Amino acid sequence: EQQPRRITDSFPRRRRRRGPGRPPGRLRDKKDKDKVQVKVRDTPRTPSQPPPDPALLEMLRRFDLSWEYGPCTGITRLQRWERAQELGLSPPGPIRDALLEHRDNPDVTYRWVWDGVGW
Amino acid sequence: MFSEQAAPTAQGLLAPPSAEPPTFPRVPVLGYSDCSQPFQLGERSFSRQYAHIYAVRLAGMRPGLERRARSRWGSDVVLRKLSELQEGEKCCVVGTLFKAMQLQPSILQEISEEHNLVPQPPLPKYIQPSDELILEDELQRIKLEGAIDVQRLVTGTILAVYGSEQDDGRFLVEDHCLAGLPPPLPWDGPSSDRFVLLASGLGLGSVSGEALLSTQLLVDVVTGQLGAEGEQSCAAHIARVILAGNLLSQNTQSRDTINKAKYLTKKTQAASVEAVKLLDEILLQLCTSVPVDVMPGEFDPTNYTLPQQPLHRCMLPLASAYATLRLVTNPYQANLDGVRFLGTSGQNISDIFKYSSMDDYLEILEWTLQAGHISPTAPDTLGCYPFYKSDPFILTECPHVYFCGNAPHFQSKLLQGKEGQRVLLVTVPDFSATQTACLVNLRDLTCQPITFSGFGADSED
Repeated sequence: EQQPRRITDSFPRRRRRRGPGRPPGRLRDKKDKDKVQVKVRDTPRTPSQPPPDPALLEMLRRFDLSWEYGPCTGITRLQRWERAQELGLSPPGPIRDALLEHRDNPDVTYRWVWDGVGW
Repeated sequence: MFSEQAAPTAQGLLAPPSAEPPTFPRVPVLGYSDCSQPFQLGERSFSRQYAHIYAVRLAGMRPGLERRARSRWGSDVVLRKLSELQEGEKCCVVGTLFKAMQLQPSILQEISEEHNLVPQPPLPKYIQPSDELILEDELQRIKLEGAIDVQRLVTGTILAVYGSEQDDGRFLVEDHCLAGLPPPLPWDGPSSDRFVLLASGLGLGSVSGEALLSTQLLVDVVTGQLGAEGEQSCAAHIARVILAGNLLSQNTQSRDTINKAKYLTKKTQAASVEAVKLLDEILLQLCTSVPVDVMPGEFDPTNYTLPQQPLHRCMLPLASAYATLRLVTNPYQANLDGVRFLGTSGQNISDIFKYSSMDDYLEILEWTLQAGHISPTAPDTLGCYPFYKSDPFILTECPHVYFCGNAPHFQSKLLQGKEGQRVLLVTVPDFSATQTACLVNLRDLTCQPITFSGFGADSED
């Protein structure tokens, strides 16, 4: 038998088309509950900059793990460097230059985030 | 003093009105500058852990403590980090204190199913003889024992201990010292009598209306509508009024809206709405006559964590039309006519009261000044914003007037420091309970209480 007509039926439900540039964070459509969705965040990388060499990334990682400059979680490397500078701990200058040179690269500016699952 | 100036002159209340009613202009504001910028939060990000605030607190206070250690135990005293300790060697260590308390309320213990504990009721004090002190620096921690008063100190204090490590791994303390009074500020106070009225805990919106008469009397004295010409001319010397928190009563914090079903509470208004309207009317009367600084407190409609942000001016539409109303943060710091004021609404002092053996609010207030930090127990037992760059509660300069609101009684003391610091410590009492406010004389840093009460049916004549 037919379902009784509802007021909301006068507003036709339009199925949202998922394009390639779908912005993340939208509420999921109720009808797609059984479909497994994998959200992929696309971080745009500026093609003009050359990728930083592994030695630089290693130096930055050592900067993160050196205990003299305080905790490294939850703040960007540049914020941590500037805090160390203000406290008079004299952090090495080349690190700041590297951070400013590659400021568009998230692997360089990195912010350690503890999401409760693992690093 | 205020009362001596207001002593009955020839013109008393029982005299016919003078032919020309005299006018008393209020003393003008000579200099005011707000110094609470460190307590104003811009963008707020809560995705950080509290390790940052402890790290910057230790890094910021370490140089001062090392200097104090050298001046106290000799300039050749050995300063060591915990990782460099050698057994039996007498040395000095600077670190953060942690007090392990058995009775400290722990949310993890409460919700843990294996313990099966009934939630602990709130106690006035959580100290116990079995509490232990542990000193932490950037990398390690060590248990302290010896000449150190475990009951008196609280978590989060930065201090320097002098002693040696024992073979059982504990540190035997021979002497310890706090950061001491911060460096003094130059004095630039007024040369004539000028008063600031400090009041806190107005407690509007409470069930009983007895305190309303006292509040109205306070407003009438400040605006010069009470008393004969003697009192009115004295009231004209009140340059400013500072309301230090708890403008609303605890009763306005009803949890009904959370506990009851929505359909029962939909039509009821929050109790704080009426209370804020009443506050607006009282502030309107005050603002038309005198500059008022309003600090939020524990029960006021603002954020819970320290530093509390100012009340929003949309809640006080009548009073915020006047430029004399200043809505400020808690803690609050300002230069009034060359005198530096620093004060809180009392949450920092009452939190230390719960976790320390110190009973006297004035003693705790003085202790926070000696420890160089407004609120060492934040963020452990008192909510605090996760700062990462610097700890704004570290005292870098010694204020001239240091006050805390919502104390059980009025107390004041003039403290003299070794480097020439002169601080007036004031514990502002809870107005709804004591009907007492304080008058601070900026010329000579004296303070006196002023009590307002009406005669009730059962009081003596």
